[in-house]
Amino acid sequence: MHLPSNAALRTAAPAGQDPAERELAQLLVTSLQLEVEPGDIAPDERLFGEGLGLDSIDALELSLAISRAYGLELKSDDENNHQIFASLRSLSRHIQSHRAR
Amino acid sequence: MVGPSIPLVGRAPDAALFRTPDGAVTGQAFLDAAHELADRLPEGGFVLNLCRQRSRFCVAFAAALLRRQVNLLTSDRSPERLAALAGEYPGLYSVSDDPEAGGLPRHHAMEAPWPARRRGSPNPDLPAGQQAAIVFTSGSTGRPAAHAKRWGALTDRSIAAGAQFGLAGHTVVGTVPPRHMYGFETTVLLPLHADAASWCGPAFYPADIRAALAASPGPHALVTTPLQLRAYLDGMAPPHVAMVVSATAPLDPALAAEVERRWNTEVREIYGATEVGSIASRRTIEGDTWTPYPGIALSAEADLVTVAAPYADPHPLSDSIELEDGRFRLLGRHADLVKVGGRRVSLSWLNSVLTRIDGVQDGAFLAPDDLASRPGARLHAFVVAPGRPVAGILGALRREVDPLFLPRKLIQVDRLPRNDLGKLPRSALAQLLPERSAGAP
Repeated sequence: MHLPSNAALRTAAPAGQDPAERELAQLLVTSLQLEVEPGDIAPDERLFGEGLGLDSIDALELSLAISRAYGLELKSDDENNHQIFASLRSLSRHIQSHRAR
Repeated sequence: MVGPSIPLVGRAPDAALFRTPDGAVTGQAFLDAAHELADRLPEGGFVLNLCRQRSRFCVAFAAALLRRQVNLLTSDRSPERLAALAGEYPGLYSVSDDPEAGGLPRHHAMEAPWPARRRGSPNPDLPAGQQAAIVFTSGSTGRPAAHAKRWGALTDRSIAAGAQFGLAGHTVVGTVPPRHMYGFETTVLLPLHADAASWCGPAFYPADIRAALAASPGPHALVTTPLQLRAYLDGMAPPHVAMVVSATAPLDPALAAEVERRWNTEVREIYGATEVGSIASRRTIEGDTWTPYPGIALSAEADLVTVAAPYADPHPLSDSIELEDGRFRLLGRHADLVKVGGRRVSLSWLNSVLTRIDGVQDGAFLAPDDLASRPGARLHAFVVAPGRPVAGILGALRREVDPLFLPRKLIQVDRLPRNDLGKLPRSALAQLLPERSAGAP
């Protein structure tokens, strides 16, 4: 709940997502059942806290969805975890450079 | 008069208290680090322990004890909450192991505690009555309330938990943070006095857990929550763990059974509350009877159950229970026991019926504010059930639940406003109601 009915976010479309970001946005929305259109997630929007407002339970769910879709497992001790999860764009870049499938 | 006292570490000097990716922290290494930090801590009566890593959290806790300072544990780290604590506890300072994390204006940045420069530090006896920690109930009801924990009560409970679960020789891998009472007891305090070690590397994502299991000696006990357990069951290859321990919310017996079957393990559940700590356990698939920890005494008078434990003040339980030969069955949380049309029902029972319905991923009943005062008032419920029409859910509920208790409003939502431990504050749930039905007309 309390996920972005955020007018700014909704009107920000088209958000300038590249195809990989678009695909990941779709995964985010379906796996976490967000109340937002995938195309409306701005690539630089913060995912956790402000922005999309995800929490630690989402982080676990999201990691499982990413593992299923891309064969990439996230770990807590990835040095730059904070940066990886910062935005759709940073997460997508991390996945694209580390994905197994 | 001198009361009983209990050593800081109740283990052998060479026993492994914590296991990290870089090796074990022994009882002696821990004492050395605690004394070293104690010498550096500022003056004060209270310290806000903000450490992230479990063994460092424990070193800071112990160092404060050596200085006769009281640890404050809070899960709410918003600037507003920290400022409020600093106002309530004059002279409060914070200690943290993370240079990048914030803290209070009075702050001690902890250095890496190992290896300590000193050797052979003593293992002092501390008074059982010494105030060791203050924890706060996160509160389904408004302002956080403080609960003081004495040293004797904390150590006694660690020893009791070790015996209750047969943890001797185990490595505990906890997925819950050390700053909550559940994680504090099971992953920070436990190894000081029970014959078990606590894993101190990351343990959140499935890959973390696999790495933890590979890097530390078994048998392992995975200490987690129902929500996380469901995610792990769905999302990871069966880990090899001797035991799973769950707390913070009721565990669905079907989930427990599935975990036992697929992971070839035993799933145990802790019953407790921040106010009284862990006080009982059960193996979830064996039924609804809970066995109190050694040393815990429950007494019932009318509807009120009081918990008595060594070195702790007697405390009323917020659940009603049925005592039977020293064991008990839960009847429901007081706030969960509501009357509809003069008949009593447990909201947690209704929730369990609701969430068992095919296609319902999550759900919760809500008693409106005017339930007791308005004769026509009924319960409401929220469901997360994508693609499942409300009528079908109501039909399924109707088969198990007295019509009196059926929700007047059954509202589809995308998710419930659970906090990071999966708990569902009533106030957050009430906000989901369409405005007109939030309370009295």
